[in-house]
Amino acid sequence: MMRRLLVALALVVSACSAGQDGPTTITFWDNNGGPGRTPIYTELIKRFEAANPDVKVEYVGIPSSSVQQKYDTAIAGGATPDVGGVTTSYLAHLVGQDALEPADERVENGALKGKLLPGLLETVRQTAPDGKLYAVPASGNMDVIWYRSDRFEEAKIAEPSTWDDLAKAATQLTKPAENQYGFTIRGGAGSIFQLLAEAYSYSGVEKFYEGGKSTVADPRNAELVRKVAELYKKATPEADVNNNYTQMVAQFTGGTVAMMHHNLGSTADVMKALGPERVSAMPLPKGPSGKRTVVPNPTDGFAVFKGSENREAAWKFVEFLTSAESNGYWNEKVGQIPANTDVRGAEWIQENPAVKMALGVLEDPATVLVPAPVYLPEYSSITKTDTEPLYQKVLLGQMPAQEFLDQLAAKLTTAQQDWEKRK
Amino acid sequence: MTQTLIRPETPVVPPPSPPRRRRRKDPGRYLRLHLPLVLYLLFTLIPFYWMLVFALRPAGATSLVPWPITFEHFDTVWNGVGFGLFFQNSLIIGVGTLVVVTVFALMGGYALARFRFRGQRVFLLALLCTQFIPGAMMLIPLFVIFKSAGLLNSLTGLVIADTAFQLPLALILMSGFVRNVPVELEEAAMVDGCTRLRAFFAVTLPQLKPALVAVGSFAFIGAWNNFLFALMFASKQDKFTLPVGLSYALGEFNTDFGALAAGGVVAAVPVVLVFAVVQRFLVQGLSAGAVKG
Repeated sequence: MMRRLLVALALVVSACSAGQDGPTTITFWDNNGGPGRTPIYTELIKRFEAANPDVKVEYVGIPSSSVQQKYDTAIAGGATPDVGGVTTSYLAHLVGQDALEPADERVENGALKGKLLPGLLETVRQTAPDGKLYAVPASGNMDVIWYRSDRFEEAKIAEPSTWDDLAKAATQLTKPAENQYGFTIRGGAGSIFQLLAEAYSYSGVEKFYEGGKSTVADPRNAELVRKVAELYKKATPEADVNNNYTQMVAQFTGGTVAMMHHNLGSTADVMKALGPERVSAMPLPKGPSGKRTVVPNPTDGFAVFKGSENREAAWKFVEFLTSAESNGYWNEKVGQIPANTDVRGAEWIQENPAVKMALGVLEDPATVLVPAPVYLPEYSSITKTDTEPLYQKVLLGQMPAQEFLDQLAAKLTTAQQDWEKRK
Repeated sequence: MTQTLIRPETPVVPPPSPPRRRRRKDPGRYLRLHLPLVLYLLFTLIPFYWMLVFALRPAGATSLVPWPITFEHFDTVWNGVGFGLFFQNSLIIGVGTLVVVTVFALMGGYALARFRFRGQRVFLLALLCTQFIPGAMMLIPLFVIFKSAGLLNSLTGLVIADTAFQLPLALILMSGFVRNVPVELEEAAMVDGCTRLRAFFAVTLPQLKPALVAVGSFAFIGAWNNFLFALMFASKQDKFTLPVGLSYALGEFNTDFGALAAGGVVAAVPVVLVFAVVQRFLVQGLSAGAVKG
């Protein structure tokens, strides 16, 4: 009797363990879910599952506006995904909660060794206080000036290479009676990030901090801010003082403005509305220094969470997503810079002038990257809540550019010093 | 006692009709009354018109009228984004919350209105105080509780969460409605041999029809519109709701205005229909609860 019982027990145990032999399921959170990106991931997941029948990927699209809150709640509640899409704008926040696995060893010892753009790897590493790689970069983004090539041609104006040329072209292309303006300024939400990109591009200042102090208030940066403010109302719509990116993009795609400073993220919108025959992209113009200094945009990548119970499968999926084939497919569809260097020779890059130009700038040895300190916990509140209203004052002529940058620099310096102390 | 219940109907004497001719000829009346109303109506309808224009005109078009009409945005949100499933989930959560909130509010509201018990005032104050706590503050504690109860990623969990947040206001509203139904009616029924329960069902409940509609509508719309809980307590694509689907149109770098507008139409239609059907009861119910002594 006892023997029979033992046999039955053994059978039940073996049946149970047999049940666990099915495919491993991992969860993947897309940090910018939506009709534009979800179908691309669906296709990539299909390919991954076909190549790895033992792993099943459960896709969850998270709206980008709420992704940080979703991650925070999941970390606090202990229900994180296996793999998550992240950007460097909130990576430090996740690292600070000890939620992510470092990827250094995996990249060094895996198929991705030497295959990722060094500039992007550096941007991701600089985000973490300990300098480790907590996300595998997948896409780079870069600020560009989108411009109406047809209007430039019509007015016989060459592509501007300096800020002064740009200002001149903007004024020439402004016809208020026809509701046409040469340029649009982002004066509302998100204005400071763009302004800093313009300022450093003009000034050629190579470091965000020099001797622990922010270089934001450098007189050359102030000069650029003055130049932009001078364009307000002269070559831009008056409503620009409240512009966020959606309004800028709407103005540009709607035909009201001839030039817009945004980034490669608006490729799909711009191309869909205007087409490659009417629109082109150029890097932010240089200043009198002639140096190419670029404030890099947040880098997109994939992170494996410490709470994952299937880390091997999770890393396998991350490696797949950042492999030349998947990374190329992904970036071709979204119009961004592929992190995998094997993709740079791909045919689609040659056919996409904006990405080709951006990749060229990033890979140019003369380009100096000046990463903004997005790792500072106060960075968002300083640049948004505290400083955006001040920039509006500058545009409206109620505050001198230098005073505005002095205030911003003081706050960024204090935040950096506090961060150094906490490290 | 029966006289208390069945009152002889007061003969309805139509009020003397106003001097129509004079009213029609008074142009000032149009200026004072109709013109502001029409202007206000236009002002209110402009956002809806805008939504329809964006939803029905092709992407990139700038015309002020939705012509030529296209349904591509509806196709995107329904088939591409998965609004079909989100709609179904929202409906289940909305109806589930409506039923649970209404039933509990009815029972609790009746108790609050008809019985005196120790701690009643404190209880009412506590109910009121819960309204000051924003949902976001309760997010992590609720998340932890739901996780240990196995209620994450389930529509039942979302119904419970929405009910918890809708119920206090519903209880307060319902107790006001019940208080307005004369207790003497129930007493009369009980003297005639009804139990309290029977008296409640036979006499009080029919009087509460507008209240049920008002409370139920609020509960439904509250659950229908809830974005935060739906996003936070669900981590499976097939458990998301319409508000989550709508926020997909607002990407990090681009906004799909067509999809946003088409999604807005899909999300607004049931609410508009609910209001169209119940507005008679709703106005009656709200005024009964709010101002009748």
